[in-house]
Amino acid sequence: MKYFLKSLLKTIPVLFLITLIVFLLVRVTGDPVSLMLPETATAEERDSLRESLGFNEPLPVQYFTYLGNLVQGDFGDSFRYNTDALSLIMERLPATLELAIASMVIAVIISVPLGILSAVKRNSFFDLFITGGAVLGKAMPNFWLGIMLILLLSVTFQVFPVSGRGTLWHLVLPALTLGTGIAAEMTRLIRSSMLEILGQDFIRTARSKGLGEAIIVNKHAFRNALIPVVTIMALQTSTLIGGTLITETVFAWPGLGQLLVQSVNLRDMAVVQAATFIIAIFVILSNLSADLIYRFLDPRIKYD
Amino acid sequence: MKKYVWTTVLGCGLVIAGCSSEDAGESGAGEPVETSDSKTLTIANGTDIVTFDIHDHNTTSTEAVHVNMFNYLLTNEGEEGFQSDLAESWENVDDRTWAFELREGVKFHNGEDLTAEDVKFTLERVANDDTLLEHGNYNQISEVNVIDDYSFEIVTENPEPALLNRLSRLGSSILPKDYIEEEGWEVFLEEPVGTGPYKLQEWRKDDRLVLEANEDYFGDEPKWEEVVFRSIPEDSTRVSELLTGGVDVAVNIPPTDVERIESTEGVTAVQSPTQRVMMMVLRTDEDSVTGDPKVREAIDLAIDKQAMVDSLLEGAGTVTRTRITPGNTGANEDLYGESLYDPERAKELLAEAGYADGVELTMSAPNGRYLKDRESAELMAAMLSEVGITINLEFLEWSAFAQRYQERSFEDIFYIGYGNSMFDASLGLERLTTKSAEGETDYDNEKVNELLLEAEQNMNAEERIEQFQEAQEIIAEDRPQIYTFQLDAITGINDRVEFEPRLNEMFYADSITLK
Repeated sequence: MKYFLKSLLKTIPVLFLITLIVFLLVRVTGDPVSLMLPETATAEERDSLRESLGFNEPLPVQYFTYLGNLVQGDFGDSFRYNTDALSLIMERLPATLELAIASMVIAVIISVPLGILSAVKRNSFFDLFITGGAVLGKAMPNFWLGIMLILLLSVTFQVFPVSGRGTLWHLVLPALTLGTGIAAEMTRLIRSSMLEILGQDFIRTARSKGLGEAIIVNKHAFRNALIPVVTIMALQTSTLIGGTLITETVFAWPGLGQLLVQSVNLRDMAVVQAATFIIAIFVILSNLSADLIYRFLDPRIKYD
Repeated sequence: MKKYVWTTVLGCGLVIAGCSSEDAGESGAGEPVETSDSKTLTIANGTDIVTFDIHDHNTTSTEAVHVNMFNYLLTNEGEEGFQSDLAESWENVDDRTWAFELREGVKFHNGEDLTAEDVKFTLERVANDDTLLEHGNYNQISEVNVIDDYSFEIVTENPEPALLNRLSRLGSSILPKDYIEEEGWEVFLEEPVGTGPYKLQEWRKDDRLVLEANEDYFGDEPKWEEVVFRSIPEDSTRVSELLTGGVDVAVNIPPTDVERIESTEGVTAVQSPTQRVMMMVLRTDEDSVTGDPKVREAIDLAIDKQAMVDSLLEGAGTVTRTRITPGNTGANEDLYGESLYDPERAKELLAEAGYADGVELTMSAPNGRYLKDRESAELMAAMLSEVGITINLEFLEWSAFAQRYQERSFEDIFYIGYGNSMFDASLGLERLTTKSAEGETDYDNEKVNELLLEAEQNMNAEERIEQFQEAQEIIAEDRPQIYTFQLDAITGINDRVEFEPRLNEMFYADSITLK
């Protein structure tokens, strides 16, 4: 318990650092006022808009005002939508979680059986096929895979709808796009972790006492091989979120990723800051929960 | 092995469980959308609308949706002139006063009557509140005097010949005064109320905006039961939706996809001009190399603009020597559709200017802001190098470019595309008046300055047009801006509907009809 409290406390400076970096980055990389007004706007128009958005204050003052509000749960207002940033994010979050969970499920469904099989049938043609496939899966960029899946399964064969969110069918292609890369990573990891376990003494003992191969693989080996897999799953949270930025744009999926991309393009500062803050919390929490699950899976692991 | 089976079954169960929260009631399993005679019109845009605050966005794509929900006092139909919308008639009383008569019997979506008070409320808001993005286009209005429920006068600060242009564009939709005052802006922004042929049914941000027919519309009965504006940012996805019948109209089709659309049965790609003209903007002050008119002429003659249109845009553009293109008040059509290209003469001119051995210039261009902006700049640099002008290209992401643009800190040349939402030459040429050009082109031609400043406030429409046209001729010879081409928009259209894209890029749902 003490360990987790300590870990939680450690996240506070991390979060502060994130607010500072994001705050500075969105300000030094471009000027939202020039983006909001047309090319033909006059200098006076720009100045009065800048004034009304509070950009005339010195940066440190702006930052501390932002922090002060943040502590009170106020993330500021989006100047693209004229509403508060947090409610915009909360509106989009369900769509992104739905996509992320579905992708993770697809990744698990693909990677667990394939990873185990290729370890059990090590060096066979099947193993070669799976490992080769995993490298390919990892190498395919999300946007390319997404567009190819649309062309093949939506345009040519018309099995799934092209884009948007609505029915279960709308979810399949984006989840497949996002899940494939993660599945590839996890397959390789499960395979190598299984191989390591399968070579250990207790597996030989199990074999020598005459246990069936299925029990050895599923009960003895796989459970032990799961521990590193849990870590990688938790680490994939950030890959998953990074992937939603591209996947949501390709499939016009109305989630947090699309919101973030558009907000960055328009330097909609409040939204960028709020979204990265929320994402950071997600990543930190998923890493912490990986620690927790670890302990549950392997009681030998102790933290003090 | 049995456990395998169980793992798989469990996995599948998880997928279904994970997704069961979704609304599975909509159109089903992978069938292409059946749209043959459906009374639902679906339009795919590249971006979602920004807001329902008609005064606080300056986004054409947002306005293209708004025009179905709200009405202007009048509409600008280009060559056909101004047409009545909410205003039945209008008259220019004196240099600063315009009198209007409102159409009677117009109702807002909430049942309230439209009166002159609503007009006063709407126009004075944008004219007085300098935090609104559209303020700059309306601050010429000093007040709106209500005479009775259906008559009012608009008084401007100075003579304002372009007032009707201002009143027939973005920001001049009439809002319901009582509704907004009683319910507040927040409620209006959630549940907007206008006078238009369609009213809001649902807005799922970054996904879709659904409008339904307004049965009480004062004009012709709405042609569609439902109009859906989808937001699909990725070009190729938008094209795929068009190819599968998912949408009836898809905007901003990249030129490279035109062939794919044309070779598919049931859909067509239509090219139409836009208001955007791409141009090089050059420094003309004496300290710059480009300050010598011969150098500027050489640059113009060295670039084959038609080749750029043909190769980069696959024909989706028109060369021009003015930025005031047809359809705008004050356009000089003699300069439109033509361009100069004579590399040999360009070399001679450079030699005459004292740069026979070549010269080096810096050109800044945005990357990814306009169609093929990067490629255009690269091609121009290559063409210029043929005549001995070495171009140092500087590419900037748009927001960084916009910042430099605003600081006026570009070096010799920058490449930009200007639109013109006013459909009037005054907005298009304003940047070439001596005062506005300072620090950017430093263009200072006494005659041009005089013509533009006079035209700005000239209430004699014909004389004003002549002043603009003369200014354009001088500018075309002086070349503070060298125009490359006017960009075309390419729109993908399902054959079940008939649609002619407009120059102002608005989507009036009722101008799109079933075949």
